[in-house]
Amino acid sequence: MISLEHYLAVGAVLFGIGLVGFLTRRNFITMFLCAEMMLQGVVVNFLAFGRFHGHLGGQVFGLFIVTVAACEAGLALALFLMLYRRGKSLDSGDWQGIREDGLPPTVDLDPLARPRPEPEDPHLPAAGAKPVSKEEALRV
Amino acid sequence: MSDPVRLALYALACPLAAALVAALLCGVKSLRHLAHLPAIVGFGGAAVFALMVLSQVLGAEGESVSFVSPSVTWFSAGKFSVSASITVDPLSAVMLATVTFVATWIAIFSAGYMHGDDGFARFFAVMSLFVFSMCVLVLANNFLLLLAGWEGVGVCSYLLVGYYFAKPSAAAAARKAFLVTRLGDVGFVLGIFLFWQIGGYHTDLDKLFDYLAKNPPNPGMLTAACLLLFCGAVGKSAQLPLYVWLPDAMEGPTPVSALIHAATMVTAGVYLLARCASLFVMSPDAQAVVCLIGGLTAALAGFIAVAQTDLKRVLAYSTVSQLGYMFMALGTGGAVSPNLAVAAAIFHLFTHAFFKALLFLGSGSVMHAMGNVIDMRKFGGLRKLMPVTHATFLCGSAALAGLPLLSGFWSKDQILDVLFEARAHGHHYKGLYLFVFATAVLTAALTAFYTFRAYFLTFWGEEKIPHEAGHHAHESPWIMLGPLCVLAVGAVTAGIVVEPFNHGFSGFLAKSPSVRLAVAQAMPGTTDLPHPHFSWVLAGIGTAAAFAGLGLAYSMYRTGTETVPPSLRAAWRLSLDKLYVDELYAALFVKPAELLAVLSRYFDGFLDGFSRVIAAIPRAAGGVLRPLQNGLVQFYALGMVMGLAVFLTVVVFRSGR
Repeated sequence: MISLEHYLAVGAVLFGIGLVGFLTRRNFITMFLCAEMMLQGVVVNFLAFGRFHGHLGGQVFGLFIVTVAACEAGLALALFLMLYRRGKSLDSGDWQGIREDGLPPTVDLDPLARPRPEPEDPHLPAAGAKPVSKEEALRV
Repeated sequence: MSDPVRLALYALACPLAAALVAALLCGVKSLRHLAHLPAIVGFGGAAVFALMVLSQVLGAEGESVSFVSPSVTWFSAGKFSVSASITVDPLSAVMLATVTFVATWIAIFSAGYMHGDDGFARFFAVMSLFVFSMCVLVLANNFLLLLAGWEGVGVCSYLLVGYYFAKPSAAAAARKAFLVTRLGDVGFVLGIFLFWQIGGYHTDLDKLFDYLAKNPPNPGMLTAACLLLFCGAVGKSAQLPLYVWLPDAMEGPTPVSALIHAATMVTAGVYLLARCASLFVMSPDAQAVVCLIGGLTAALAGFIAVAQTDLKRVLAYSTVSQLGYMFMALGTGGAVSPNLAVAAAIFHLFTHAFFKALLFLGSGSVMHAMGNVIDMRKFGGLRKLMPVTHATFLCGSAALAGLPLLSGFWSKDQILDVLFEARAHGHHYKGLYLFVFATAVLTAALTAFYTFRAYFLTFWGEEKIPHEAGHHAHESPWIMLGPLCVLAVGAVTAGIVVEPFNHGFSGFLAKSPSVRLAVAQAMPGTTDLPHPHFSWVLAGIGTAAAFAGLGLAYSMYRTGTETVPPSLRAAWRLSLDKLYVDELYAALFVKPAELLAVLSRYFDGFLDGFSRVIAAIPRAAGGVLRPLQNGLVQFYALGMVMGLAVFLTVVVFRSGR
């Protein structure tokens, strides 16, 4: 028999993993996923209590949280995209601009590896086939 | 055109327009040297209008002559309503004519004297503004308007005394003049307030006088208010406790000394008291104070003038002394018929304007020739070098000394006359009036002595020219000598023409409504006014005093060199050091004020430190907490988690209990 405590335990574990991940990772995407994980832990709690008390309130909350999380995901990913375009980095430690005036920036002793520069997309000729060599390109 | 009030307004407008034009000329470099033209034309126009006013008032019929302009409300608040209106009566007409006439000649003199000076246009702009303010003061029919003119002349005096503002002594003198007169003005303003309160909330002079005549106020209040007004007069007219600014004001250019510090502004106090005679006669105590202060000032300033080595300072102390004479005369109103007191004072004011302006301009002419040296020990024997200046200066000196038949003789005689009569009729203060009379006679002798000492030291003896003069040691140009000659004629004849044989001056002045009112209050029931009478005894005493002073000066100084008998050396020293009044004031008022300022400075620093300490507390607390805002997202998240943990702990433990 799976009792309420089991559900709560799963929810707590999900929340705990998400929390630890949020506090320890610096990649925006990872942090975002961890935050989602914490949310899901909470949703599990709601569902469990809803079921335990025998009414649909918990499920309604759960649906709301999922909806809001979807909106939030859209916004957050858009923001990350903008930040990445500006700084070519998803490291949250690179964005310290909101600290108090006069405080020295926190310097990372073990920075994340810079992402490798992406290979440039080849320019495709109108025909759509990738030219093999320059001469070929000229010919095309 | 025929209305006297309108003519008086034209007379007001002329110097104002001159001031504006001269001020505009300041801004045009190529036209600055023409700035004397608007001033001369403006003053001349004002003088012509003033003479027309005078002739209109002279021709007016009736026992009391007064033309009041329709009143325009200047400002009002509750019961306090101030109207801007001017009044033309014999008193203001005489004063207006004197001011504008003397100002015109002094402006002409200045055109020569100030020629080539850097601030030429500024000088004439401020001078014109001064004449305008003085005319406002004279014509005002309202205490507040009078005060506006009163302060206006004060500001112009400040600007002109500090004309050579790059010179520290001139700047200090200007400041001193302004501050010391301001001390008196505080009393003046308080006096106006007090009269406003006891006088039925009127500030218009004619209404106030009428109200107070019909509703006599509490004598104590009235005396206090009169004395407060007198405070203002003491400051402006350089009387006993506050006379110290006038000698220092000689730092200004000489025409300024002639116009402002001899002929016009300093007589404003005398004019004020004459104007308010109907208030002062109701308070015999205040009158006694006025008379006593006048007598003491006259004697003290006369004594100080005896040993001064600076020609202009001699004349400055002489001015203080002569103003004292006028106050003596004013102080007798009530003990004698007020029309006599006012007539004597204003008559002396009138003649004094001529001969003192003449003497100052003469000293300016000497200064011009001597390369701005004014120390009488450094030059001498200028009789041959400057014949016209010498002759006119002699006329002025003789008039000031009160030699018979000259203008000063007649006016001084009238003052001695009213003082002597006050001794006989003054009910409470017979002894005081006798004392002041004796002082006046003594001062007459002193006046003759120091005047002729200055004259002999400057013009007699061996010719001595300071090396500063260089090639300039010659007679002044005619643009300067012309005004000297005109004023010399005035100094010689102004007295004899207007007063002694027909009592024209005193009779004319008695037509002023304020004087009539004063007479009606002092001697109720009098129908015909007493005329000043000529007393051979008093004239003899005055003449004897004048000749005694003159003779003494001749015997001591005819060689043109300073000689002091050894027995009088101490007194001479005392006079030379101005009785140590400046030092006394410095020790009594200036030093404590400085000490107070230093203490206040420290106290201010203490307060600043205190508030800085208070301000430092939140700053220090902020400094402790600020590193928390380090901009790291994880750190903020950790903060939230820790907060949540604490919160949950509390909740759990509370609910578990």
